[in-house]
Amino acid sequence: MTSDAEFEVTASEQTALPVLRVRGEIDVASAPEFHARLSDLAGRGPEVIMVDLSEVSFIDSTGLGVLVGAEKELRQDGRELRLVVTRPQIMRLFQLTGLDEVFTVLSGTDASVRT
Amino acid sequence: MTSAVSAPDRVGTSTANRVELSLAADAQMLFLARLTAAAVAARAEFDYEQVEDLRLAIDELCVRLMNRGPGTGRISLLFQWDGEGALEVSGTLTPGDGPSGHGSRPRPTAGGASDELSERILDALVDDHGEDAVGGTQRAWLRMRRGAHLA
Repeated sequence: MTSDAEFEVTASEQTALPVLRVRGEIDVASAPEFHARLSDLAGRGPEVIMVDLSEVSFIDSTGLGVLVGAEKELRQDGRELRLVVTRPQIMRLFQLTGLDEVFTVLSGTDASVRT
Repeated sequence: MTSAVSAPDRVGTSTANRVELSLAADAQMLFLARLTAAAVAARAEFDYEQVEDLRLAIDELCVRLMNRGPGTGRISLLFQWDGEGALEVSGTLTPGDGPSGHGSRPRPTAGGASDELSERILDALVDDHGEDAVGGTQRAWLRMRRGAHLA
């Protein structure tokens, strides 16, 4: 068993709002694939990208760094990265690092902004 | 963070409360360090939140060792804890033969953002941590106490 054996990332472009759904653990082993998929989606030029982390069980600084880098690039283009976070331990990490103030964090793909 | 300090040895432990893990300095292997951290934290009677905290902290410790090393070698982790709930982990990266290329070394994906985030994470999760280098060996350590997050 390896951590990235559980890692899965899928892009949905069925709607006007592209969603990148991630499952499993985002660590140094899986972050490069996560980065590549997110960059690929961003390269298609949508105004807003949503990254659904509700099935992510673990994310470390490498994974957070991917999100920070993508957010910065999108923001420079006047675009936006939104996150969906439902697991308390993942939300806690965003709060501990202050990233909950950087990202628009939602509690569901069709829900309101988390408070 | 405390920098340029030697790995401490302040936790008075019996050999029963001591676990050593040696693994290739390979990104694909870090899940083993996290699994061990979770098992040790549970054994030291940490609660769920602190088990998760130690799991993440050990991952960060290993990533930092790998980022500062040559990209190959072995990581050794020594977990020690006592009956009072004090836990200490020392990690070393010894350069040597090992995997190279894909998966062996974390790739930077956001400039220095990951390093800064790693520092913030460790500051928040553990009571104390530090790193240094002696000869060609990178070292890092952390310390946390059971229930410290509730104080």
